[in-house]
Amino acid sequence: MAMPDQFMFVRRLGPGARLLIWLLVGISLVVLDSRYHALEGLRSGFSLVLQPVREFLRAPTELADELGGFFTRHRALQKERDTLLAERAALMAVQADARDLARENRELRSLLTLQVRHGEQGVRAAELYRGHDWFAQRIMLDRGSAAGLRNGLPVVDADGLVGQVRRVYPGSSEVTLVSSPGHLTPVQIERTGQRGLAAGSGQGRLELRYMPAHIDIKVGDRLLTSGIDRVYPSGIPVARVIRVSRSESSPYLRVECEPVAGLDRTRNVLVLIGRQQAPLP
Amino acid sequence: MNAPTASIGSWRHIVGSLALAVLLEQWPWGGWALAWRPDFVLLGVLFWALHQPGRVGIGTAFFFGLLADFQDGVVFGQHAIAYAAGVYLVLFLRLRLLQFEPLRQAAQMFPVLLAVQLTVLLVGWLAVNPPTTLAMLLPVVGTTVLWYLVAGFLHAWHGKGMQDRA
Repeated sequence: MAMPDQFMFVRRLGPGARLLIWLLVGISLVVLDSRYHALEGLRSGFSLVLQPVREFLRAPTELADELGGFFTRHRALQKERDTLLAERAALMAVQADARDLARENRELRSLLTLQVRHGEQGVRAAELYRGHDWFAQRIMLDRGSAAGLRNGLPVVDADGLVGQVRRVYPGSSEVTLVSSPGHLTPVQIERTGQRGLAAGSGQGRLELRYMPAHIDIKVGDRLLTSGIDRVYPSGIPVARVIRVSRSESSPYLRVECEPVAGLDRTRNVLVLIGRQQAPLP
Repeated sequence: MNAPTASIGSWRHIVGSLALAVLLEQWPWGGWALAWRPDFVLLGVLFWALHQPGRVGIGTAFFFGLLADFQDGVVFGQHAIAYAAGVYLVLFLRLRLLQFEPLRQAAQMFPVLLAVQLTVLLVGWLAVNPPTTLAMLLPVVGTTVLWYLVAGFLHAWHGKGMQDRA
C-alpha cells in the first residue's frame, strides 16, 4: 500500500479502509435517494445555497445579449410594428370566427362529455441551468414552489410541449424534457386521431412506441398530447414524425419523431398550472 | 525534512480554488461546450489530493461529489462514490504521479479520470437506467487537457522542483 509519508507516525486509517467506509456511505445514499426519495431536503439545501450563484453568473450573458440587441432593435421594432399592424387587422377578422367556433366547439365537447380544460393558468419561467446528466435530459427553471409550481406540471414553450416538472425547490425547479430517455408522453396523431405513447430516445429525439404496422402514419404528421392521462391538457403539439420504417423482426412500426418545442434553444417557457391535480406518471 | 514531493497549497489556495471550481460549474454552459466541459470540481479535488493529501482526502471528495450530484440532478451518491474512488487512486499512485512533468502527469491522470467517469456511469446504470450514449466520456478528455494546463501553469510558476513554500 502506498502510504503518503506524512502519515507514517500518525494513527490514521489507511486509504483503503477510508475508501471502503465512504463507499458504504455512498451506496446507502444511492439506495436512500433512488428507492425512498429520502434526501429531497438535502437537495433543497444545496439549491438554496447555489441559486443566487447561478442567478449571478447568468447576468453577464444576459447583459451581453441586451447590449448586442440594443443597436439592431430600433429598426427591427419599426419594421415589426408595421407588420404587426397589418397582421392585427387580418387577425381581428379571424378572431371573430374563432370565437364563434370555440363556442360551438365547447358545446359539442360538453355534449360528448369529453374532458377539456380551458383557461389553463400559466407561470412564466426562464431556463436557469442545463443539467449535465446522461441518463436524463433536464433543465432548471428559475421559478419554484414559491410561484405555485408542483411536481408533474406540464411545461410548454411557444411551439409545443417542453417537458414535465420533476422536482420543485423553493426558488427553482427541475424539468425533465420530453426527449429525455424513457420519458413517456401520451399522444395522438393530429391527422387521424390515433393514440399512442411517445418515448424520449435521447439525443433530442422521440419515438412512437407500439404502433401496429397497419396504422396510417406518414412523415410530417404532427403528434399532439391526447389528454387521456390527466397530466397534460389535450392538444399541445409534441413532435413531428421524421421517419417511419418497419422491421422484419418486429410487428410494430419504428417511428422516429422530432420535438416541435425548441428544447435546445428555448430560454423562456410557460409552466401550465391547471386546475387539475396532476399525479406523477 | 522536506520531502521533494511536499509542495504548494495553503488552506487559502485550497478553499479558493475549490470555490472557483464550483462557481465555474454554475456557469450556464450549453451545446458542445457542455459536452466537453471539464469537471472542474473533480480536477480541483484530485489536484489537492495529489499535492496536499493531509488536507484534502476521500471525505472531502465525497462531499464535493454530493454537490456534483445535486448539480446534475442525479441520484445522490453517484458522483460521490466516483470522486472518492478517484482520490483513492490518486493517493495510491501519488508518489509515481509526482515524478512526472505536466504532460506525462496529465497522460497518467487520463486513466484515473476515465475510471472516475466509468464509476459514475456504472452507479447511474445500476441505480437508474442504462445510459443512451457514451458521450459522457467526452469530459474525461476535457479534464485531462485542463489538468495539463493547470499542472503546466504551476510548474512554470513555482519552478521545477515545486519546493515547499507553504
